[in-house]
Amino acid sequence: MTGLVLRRLGWAVVVAWFVVTLSFIVVLMLPADPAAALLGPHATEQAIAKVRDGYCLGGHGLQRIVDAYGCWLGKLAHGDLGESYRTRRAVLDIIADRIWPTTQLALGAVVLQLVLGVPLGILAAVRRGRWPDHVGNLVGLVGQSAPPFVVGTVLLYVFAYRFGWFPLGGYGEGGWDRLAHLVLPAMSIATVGVALYARVLRGELIDALGEDFVRTARAKGLPERVVVGRHALRHALGPLISLVGLDLGVLLGGAVVTEVVFAWPGLGRELMHAILEIDIPLILGVVMVTALAIAVVNLLVDLAALWLDPRLRDG
Amino acid sequence: MTVAAARSRSVRRGARRPAPRPRWLAVLAIAAACGTPDGAPRYRAAGAAGPREGGVLRFSVASNVATLDPTRANDEFSYLVMHPMFDTLVDFSPTGRDLVPRLAERWTVSSDGLVYTFTLRPGIAFSDGAPITAAHFKISLERALTTEDSPFAQYLHDLDGARALIEHTAPHCAGIAAVDDRRLELRLARRNVAMLAILAMPFAAPQRSASADGDALRLRHAPDASGPFMLAHWNEGIAVVLRRNPHYHDPARAHLDAIVMFENVPRDTQFQMFERGDLESAAGLAAPDFLFVFTSEAWRPFRQRAVAMTAFGSRMDLSRPPFDDRRVRQALNYASNKAHTARLLYGTTEASHGVLPPGVLGRDPALAPYPHDVERARRLLAEAGYPHGLDVDYVTYSDEELEKVAASLQGDLAEAGVRLHIKVLSFAAYLSVIAQRGGAALSYIGWGADFPDPINFLDANFRSDPLPRTNNSFYASPALNAVLDAAREELDVDRRAALYRRAERIVYDDAPWIWDYHQVASEVTQPYVRGHTLHPIWMRDFTSAWLDVGPDGRPVPR
Repeated sequence: MTGLVLRRLGWAVVVAWFVVTLSFIVVLMLPADPAAALLGPHATEQAIAKVRDGYCLGGHGLQRIVDAYGCWLGKLAHGDLGESYRTRRAVLDIIADRIWPTTQLALGAVVLQLVLGVPLGILAAVRRGRWPDHVGNLVGLVGQSAPPFVVGTVLLYVFAYRFGWFPLGGYGEGGWDRLAHLVLPAMSIATVGVALYARVLRGELIDALGEDFVRTARAKGLPERVVVGRHALRHALGPLISLVGLDLGVLLGGAVVTEVVFAWPGLGRELMHAILEIDIPLILGVVMVTALAIAVVNLLVDLAALWLDPRLRDG
Repeated sequence: MTVAAARSRSVRRGARRPAPRPRWLAVLAIAAACGTPDGAPRYRAAGAAGPREGGVLRFSVASNVATLDPTRANDEFSYLVMHPMFDTLVDFSPTGRDLVPRLAERWTVSSDGLVYTFTLRPGIAFSDGAPITAAHFKISLERALTTEDSPFAQYLHDLDGARALIEHTAPHCAGIAAVDDRRLELRLARRNVAMLAILAMPFAAPQRSASADGDALRLRHAPDASGPFMLAHWNEGIAVVLRRNPHYHDPARAHLDAIVMFENVPRDTQFQMFERGDLESAAGLAAPDFLFVFTSEAWRPFRQRAVAMTAFGSRMDLSRPPFDDRRVRQALNYASNKAHTARLLYGTTEASHGVLPPGVLGRDPALAPYPHDVERARRLLAEAGYPHGLDVDYVTYSDEELEKVAASLQGDLAEAGVRLHIKVLSFAAYLSVIAQRGGAALSYIGWGADFPDPINFLDANFRSDPLPRTNNSFYASPALNAVLDAAREELDVDRRAALYRRAERIVYDDAPWIWDYHQVASEVTQPYVRGHTLHPIWMRDFTSAWLDVGPDGRPVPR
């Protein structure tokens, strides 16, 4: 088991390195000069050249990419992700500031997806072809079709502006206030997830309910809720856990649209600003965190799958 | 100001959502069932006879503040909180046309216009109570000269010894002298009548070397405030909170306890927050909100408009065909229809005939914008050798309003036979492309002034010797250079104005831009916000605002 974990962690680092390198090349191939963008049109050519050199952006073509990449790796070797061109803050400090809001949003969204999606999926499976199933289908269709910025805007308009139940975006002061600020953005992200989780669980559960071990459980006279809840559900949860892992990983990299719509100070919004400003160190820092988050969460998901399904351990 | 800053300074017009009150939402039964805001103000002024002390004024901006370092910050959002924090020697009057004393009690200018001597007010202090002396102004001015990413060094090049300091051949700028604690002397190597206006900008506020040269974090979180407000807290990306500076020399200038600027609030959300009473001011409204507020009788007394110190249009690259031919440039000016832009931007524009907005010295009110005359445009193009029209690449950046303006221009020019091929880039890529010769034949251009002097418009955009990077149409006119040189040194205001009128005429005829419009900024405030008007330079300056609320400190319901 330890070997597996170490191997997967090693792969996580390789994946993160690959993703960051690819991002690096793409960003540096953009037809924009970060030094000129940083200094603005007032700056002299000499000042721009000096800043370019300072960030190892002085060369041309492939040489420029190689130089800048070497510079960046050199700093990374010392645990330094560089500083944001725009704000002059250390990228690590910015990420440290933004990762917690993003984590709260990711966890809030996934919890909502599970709390709403799982019962909906179970209901749709055990009442297949009846109205709970139809409602589940409808929720699934709407949830998966509506883009987050539409869902977010509607939620804000109805529940914050019209009803006044929730704040109109922002991060809140902490405690209950933070929770109140978290509900709508988390809901906005969760809408797609709820639908997806419900559909996936429904399908898996329907399959599981037709399996021999379920027939055996029923034959033993177990109550239906035990058959479904303890036997079939455990069998059907595997794919859902993979989905949770994938969602968590992606969301830990920041939910760009939702964070912008709800003025949520997370990594996604920071990434959007960084891309617009060609703030290369910040782009790379956030991309690296995202890649690592996805890799690490996937490792945790695999471990959870091993724990849930003993057959995988043997394999 | 930079093109970048001009963009951020501009009041963000245009539609970000499709209808005044999303109609498709109105059919939601759930929303219809509940009580809905009627669109009129929720509160009224309590009716106080004079300024009431205390209270918190809240407003929001759509992006975030990059820095509060006055030597570096040069965008609208930073300025909104920096101006209340950083008092300078002089300031712009409420009309923006005159200069009034702030930290300087008085000043004299030598008869040759080369020596400025300022006497500081007695008893002025930073927000921690430490006295402000003339040496602190020397620190800030020298810091601007030596900070590589400061956009302000260029404004101080006329100081004697500035070049030596920049090139590190001297440890200090010889032209800046702290004669004693209360006397500052600036000596110029070359006359520059805009010097006083330049000194009104926040970068010229006094700074202490300990914070200026010390760690950047201190400067971010404890800047040397010299104004009526100081930084209480900056939760980056979320909100900047200012509180009253207890050591400010003129306590009567400020009335609020605190000013809160929320960052990154989307424009659509801003007005909803305002209507709910979560904000005291809203500006840069989304189109539906703008149309609602500016057609609503109930909001009429609480809305304001002001022509901003800006100019917008399309700049041409004169370094290559076809725009090296003046007839082609004029043809494009005749072909564009300013009425279309005005309609697209909901009337928040004033048609322009040049780069100088109304109120700036030297603007010639007798000069009319190029009329929309397609026939004349076709004739000029034919004379220039393009009887069958021509194909032109047009570059703009990703922005809903600008893309609409580009499409409108495309339609206008097509009538004259000019086929425009629009390329939409990211803002950073756009900046890089327009700064290069041969980078973009025709592109969107925006300019916002740092200070309301013609130097900051005409010299910045059209001088060619030396060529500033901001002259990205690469326009070169020896005649214009000569007039600008003369105007820069002319001490007599009337003669100077006459020179700039000549300069404006030269640029008007040569048409390096398609002149389009000056932006009209707008703002709406809660009925209980008083003592505040849109400032032509600082725009939303709440320094002297006060809240006419009830005795309990809460707004009085309507």
